[in-house]
Amino acid sequence: MTFTRQFIALLRMNLGGLTDRLGAVLAILMGVTCTVGVLVSMLAMGTGLHSQVLGDVHDDIVVVTSHGGGGFQGSIPREEANAVRDLPGIARSKDGEPLVGLAFAVPVEARRRVTGRRVFFELAGSTMTFMLMHPEEMHFTEGRMYRPGLHELIASNPCVRQFAGFELGARREVRGSDWTVVGHFDQGHNMQCVVVTDADTLMTTFGSNTYSHISVQLALPADFDVFRKALESNPALHLEAKHQRDMLEENFKQFNALLRFAAYFVGSIIALGATLGAVNSLYSIVDARRRELATLRAIGFGGAAIVAALLCESVLLALPGALLGSGLAWLFFHRMAVSPFGYNFELEVTAGLAAIGIAWALAMGLIGGLLPALRAARVPVTTALRAT
Amino acid sequence: MLVCRSTEAGGRESVGGLRMRFLPLIWSGIWRKPGRTVLIFLQVSVAFALFGVLQGLKTGVQHAVDAARADLLLVHSRLSLIMEGLPMGLLEPIRSVAGVRVAIPVELFGGYYQKPEQGVGIVAVTPDKDWTAAFTFTIAPGYLAAFARSRTGALVRDLAAEKYGWKIGDHIPLKSNTLQKNGSNDWAFDVVGTFADSDVGGGRYIILINLPYYDEARATGKGTVNHFNVAVTDPKLAVPVADAIDRLSANSSHETKTESLRELAQLNVQQIGDFDFLIHAIVGAVLAALLFATATMMMQSIRERTPELAVLKTLGFSDRAVFLLVLAEALTLCVAAAAFGLALATLTLPLAARFVLGLSMPAITVAIGLGCAVLVALVSAAVPAALAARLRIVSALAQR
Repeated sequence: MTFTRQFIALLRMNLGGLTDRLGAVLAILMGVTCTVGVLVSMLAMGTGLHSQVLGDVHDDIVVVTSHGGGGFQGSIPREEANAVRDLPGIARSKDGEPLVGLAFAVPVEARRRVTGRRVFFELAGSTMTFMLMHPEEMHFTEGRMYRPGLHELIASNPCVRQFAGFELGARREVRGSDWTVVGHFDQGHNMQCVVVTDADTLMTTFGSNTYSHISVQLALPADFDVFRKALESNPALHLEAKHQRDMLEENFKQFNALLRFAAYFVGSIIALGATLGAVNSLYSIVDARRRELATLRAIGFGGAAIVAALLCESVLLALPGALLGSGLAWLFFHRMAVSPFGYNFELEVTAGLAAIGIAWALAMGLIGGLLPALRAARVPVTTALRAT
Repeated sequence: MLVCRSTEAGGRESVGGLRMRFLPLIWSGIWRKPGRTVLIFLQVSVAFALFGVLQGLKTGVQHAVDAARADLLLVHSRLSLIMEGLPMGLLEPIRSVAGVRVAIPVELFGGYYQKPEQGVGIVAVTPDKDWTAAFTFTIAPGYLAAFARSRTGALVRDLAAEKYGWKIGDHIPLKSNTLQKNGSNDWAFDVVGTFADSDVGGGRYIILINLPYYDEARATGKGTVNHFNVAVTDPKLAVPVADAIDRLSANSSHETKTESLRELAQLNVQQIGDFDFLIHAIVGAVLAALLFATATMMMQSIRERTPELAVLKTLGFSDRAVFLLVLAEALTLCVAAAAFGLALATLTLPLAARFVLGLSMPAITVAIGLGCAVLVALVSAAVPAALAARLRIVSALAQR
């Protein structure tokens, strides 16, 4: 009981005297704000990328690819691709057609609209069944669907915004012949440029006999094991099946790890600097209160209460910094579009990230307050009172 | 510098005498509160260590581009960098272009060793005479001879050998998505030597194998290659030679695009362009916070030392001398701490370079860093120094 009363009295005294030490208080605040702001903004890249990549994932979609770690760029012979259609567990369209989309992708050159820089985008060839899988996600904003057998392309709207030469009716050269852009579409959350055409037409053009991957829609998500067993037990097929989610996560694992490493690496260094600054400021605050503290010690205040009150004060000084830092990150960077290494996504500042920022601020407050608090508790009563 | 100027202001004593008097004063001022000084020193060091790493990333990438060879050309399909095959038949016409020293066909494919996570880039080349001139690899002559002799031999990059524990004489099995004629996707090669690569854009875990053997063994794509590597006789000829090579296949079904390694490196760098803004934002935020922290501490320090400064003035130190004394203290501390931080960054760079290619700490980064430190010191100490200079002796001493 005495501890609580002493603690409250000390805390009130501490906070009341803060206005006299505005410089030190602001220095702590700025340090924490900077740390949390930078950490949250950098982590926002990872969350933005993640929600963009996994935004359109469906549990009932399975990606089939060739053995050998080909990922989305595998090589699947036509006979094997056709055999996949007859496997159990696959959903069927109204006409009884199995929902199996065969894909063939090639990177093709494009130029950035603004800068004229050269970039590569993926020209995806797909079979018509793709359009029957989760059709609610893809909708045309202009134009029409491509016709198989003709040199026609449809492009997602991000292409039109970012690259030159994707206007309706524009002609693009692919492997020595002109292909016409006949439609524009939006696709779920995807902000990547996606250009789609007929798989077989594209494969004929490129003289390829192998698909790069196959997407399969299951009748029920629970049918995955049935499907996979049938796929793997067939000796004629050298293929493997993965959930769409796992496949995408695997694909982005390395890039995600790089982003996280960068965020925490930079964040820790800044946090270290800011904590050192906070220690300094708190020391100066404690030093300024030597006489008060000595007096309190003389009239019987416990060391534990003094330590607890100063730690509490330092945390209370750090917390507004966390809120301010997260707030500034949200204000400046939320929904900001970036395209590092050719991926397009928006930064996303979420409540979860703000929580991480607050946790860091708490830790900085506690660690930074520890040494000054111990010094406050150990103020030698006689010398401090004698000093002017 | 500062000391000299203060002498002109005082105009009474020799430079040596003043310096003798000033240096101990600065030193004792810095160490008046050792705890505080150490903390500021560490804080400034940490900030500049971060500055060094981030700026090193930025300038390091630019250096990597400048260091990329402009005299090595890559002939690839105009449609795509690697996905499109080029016919082998292009090799002889390319070799006969004036200014071409060596032209070597290259085929790339991917595989993995034991686990899918352990990726290996496989580069198939024809080990013709002088073939290494068209690459950035460094290979010992003994290994080169062994590689040319053995059909299934492989040279492994030093980093790959280290990572997977491969030794000369090892028989390494790899799984690949490229099928052999017999339908198998298992490939195996005999390690006959190792090599190093000076190109920062090159793959880390790559092995070199014989293209004639690979072309013979693979199921599809026979007679085509991903690109041709070309070394020119004179670096100045790189551009006309590239144009001449591209003219060979103009208007055919396999038009080529010839680019130097430097041009390709520039292309890669453009993709990380968005990070420039981020780096600037972070460095700006850190320096602003640092400025504020040091300014507060200097202010605090001057306030505590008011009586001492007043005594100095009583002893005949001019306003200007006191002003410079305070500035010199801040400068010494900040510049020393920044130098320490930048040195720390140089030491940690190899660690970070494992994740990001092309990190380096050129002299210009160090210079910019020290310049920033001087700026931080001057700005943060200006107000406290001015306060100290304007101190009135009587009232300052009366506080005591």
